[in-house]
Amino acid sequence: MDNVYRSSGFDFSNSIRNHSLAEKGLPLPKATSTGTTIVGCVFKDGIILGADTRATEGPIVADKNCEKIHYITESIRCCGAGTAADTEFVTATISSNMDLHALSTGRKPRVVTAMTMLKRHLYRHQGQVGAALVLGGVDVTGPQLFTIHPHGSTDKLPYVTMGSGSLAAMAIFESSWQPNMTREHALQLVTTAISAGIFNDLGSGSNVDACIITATGTEMLRNFVKPNERVEKERKYTFRRGATAWKSESIRKLIVNEQVTPVAGEAMDVS
Amino acid sequence: MSALEYNGGSVIAMVGKDCVAIASDLRLGTQALGISSNFQRVFPMTDRLYVGLPGLGTDVTTLYERFRYRVNMYTIKEEREINPETFAHMVSSTLYQHRFGPYFIEPVVAGLSKSPTGALKPFIAAMDLIGCINFAKDFVVAGTASSKLYGVAEGLWEPDLEPEDLFETISQTLLNAVDRDAFSGWGAVVHVITKDRVISRTLKARMD
Amino acid sequence: METSFALTGKGYVIVAADTTAARSIVKMKDDQDKIKELGSHLLMAYSGEPGPSNAYIIMPTQPTDPLLSFYSGDTIQFAEYVERNIRLYQIRHLYPLRPSAAASWIRRSLAVSLRSRNAFTVNLLIGGYDLADHKPTLYWIDYLGTVVEVPFAAHGYGSYFALSLLDRYHNPDATLEEGLATLKRCINEVSKRLVVSPDRYKVKVVDKDGVREVEL
Repeated sequence: MDNVYRSSGFDFSNSIRNHSLAEKGLPLPKATSTGTTIVGCVFKDGIILGADTRATEGPIVADKNCEKIHYITESIRCCGAGTAADTEFVTATISSNMDLHALSTGRKPRVVTAMTMLKRHLYRHQGQVGAALVLGGVDVTGPQLFTIHPHGSTDKLPYVTMGSGSLAAMAIFESSWQPNMTREHALQLVTTAISAGIFNDLGSGSNVDACIITATGTEMLRNFVKPNERVEKERKYTFRRGATAWKSESIRKLIVNEQVTPVAGEAMDVS
Repeated sequence: MSALEYNGGSVIAMVGKDCVAIASDLRLGTQALGISSNFQRVFPMTDRLYVGLPGLGTDVTTLYERFRYRVNMYTIKEEREINPETFAHMVSSTLYQHRFGPYFIEPVVAGLSKSPTGALKPFIAAMDLIGCINFAKDFVVAGTASSKLYGVAEGLWEPDLEPEDLFETISQTLLNAVDRDAFSGWGAVVHVITKDRVISRTLKARMD
Repeated sequence: METSFALTGKGYVIVAADTTAARSIVKMKDDQDKIKELGSHLLMAYSGEPGPSNAYIIMPTQPTDPLLSFYSGDTIQFAEYVERNIRLYQIRHLYPLRPSAAASWIRRSLAVSLRSRNAFTVNLLIGGYDLADHKPTLYWIDYLGTVVEVPFAAHGYGSYFALSLLDRYHNPDATLEEGLATLKRCINEVSKRLVVSPDRYKVKVVDKDGVREVEL
């Protein structure tokens, strides 16, 4: 509490207070957890990742169009499910560390490297960092696809799903996945899998995001399909000006443009 | 009841045409007992950047003091004002640093951000208590009345509202939502931020 | 049960607190002064759970300083810690903290204490007369470190009765006599309706001339 700038890592200074608050009958609020459908799939030339775009707070839809495919490096991306803040920060941290790693080795970083960094981080925190991830990318060894569970265990599979909609999405993969699919076919399959999550899992919804990673480049298809567009409102709901009664008003005028005019003396010698 | 609801209070922010608005109720209570009808939980950080801190009363003050100090240090060291985006990430990382012993606050950030050309762009964001940012293009809500605010705002908000129209929309959204929440209300304050001025008004509200 | 009230008026703040010192169900004392005079123009009423009086802790602001050790849970210990630090500030700087600054410092001390293993469970009312802008100010602070400036305030079970009365009868421009009459209403109501009501109160006033005790 005394220092504003602190060392890295988590700060537990509020823990004693929060524990005593919990004992007095004020329990810890549940952190925002995202019900999610995220998938990944290997195809002929690379990897396709997919995600829905709904973020929830219990039964409330907090964000109707959030981004769940996170940037790791140019040719590696990571889908996140679970505690929203954890997926956000764990991927940002590992993305930063991958950059530093690439700089210090002078090589293009590999997907296994990111996977190892992520699983070590998650294992170290014993499942307390609640991130369930689908990591995919293309490196010197070819296309790579992993899932990483909150406790740090990993899988390496040709097609994977995670999140609350993982069962719905996996049903699609199990019935239709084939080895060596074309790009179009694989993208269609990923879209169908995410759509299965969107329409059958309450924790998932809104749009389909997809990301195609091949040896030649990465293509982020943000809002690739929007099957739940809101129809235009039939009426306007603006209020008449002056409808709201107010008691007091204070207006703060701000400076929009300012011109600095030197009044005396020569300009400082900066040569 | 969790620590987030102990003192009550709600905040909402909306985007308009070249302007943003942030509004909050003014109640502070201990559970059902009202203590104050003039508790400010929306604070100016720079000329065109405001932050709303609904949640546990003690953390409202602690975090406000903390952010004020860090924004001051940033301004001195960088010799420029902090951008709303930068500030939102500063708030977010502060909250995530306390991931396993959180502050009971769900901040809302609203401001106008300056692009390199000097043009001003509306910016709003909301966070959960451990710092997951929600960048929205329309409106964000937080606090004990958030579930009600979502519904009303979804119905009333529309794009490209002029400052005076945005004031009416955000005021009516807040007023009607907090009337359905026992822990929020007891007066309200609205700030509309435009390129050349900030209009702050305290609203006439139900006091029950 | 412990109860304290405070209200502002035209150029003054009245602070009142009951005088019982209780341990469990036993009344140990009925003439305790629970309003500290923190300075020439600053009053602080304190109340709270006595807590375990033998738990030994070190004040967390300077955890390594053995001179700053306290018996925790005890409201008196906190009140004296505040009293001496406010006095120290005046000695060092030759001028006292203004009420708003004092309230901020006291709040922070509580918030820091709350993050230690043995926190003070103490609720406060800070009443002061600001000599710089000539305004009476009153702060309501609870044991969590929540602070808010209010026209009137109360702590304890009495607050459930008194706050509604104060809301009805409080007048920021009232004379001292009228203010004391409003206070009497609160005290009478609490005596009448609260099962475990205290029977005696100490009342202090702070205005431009400083602090003084008044008899009701």
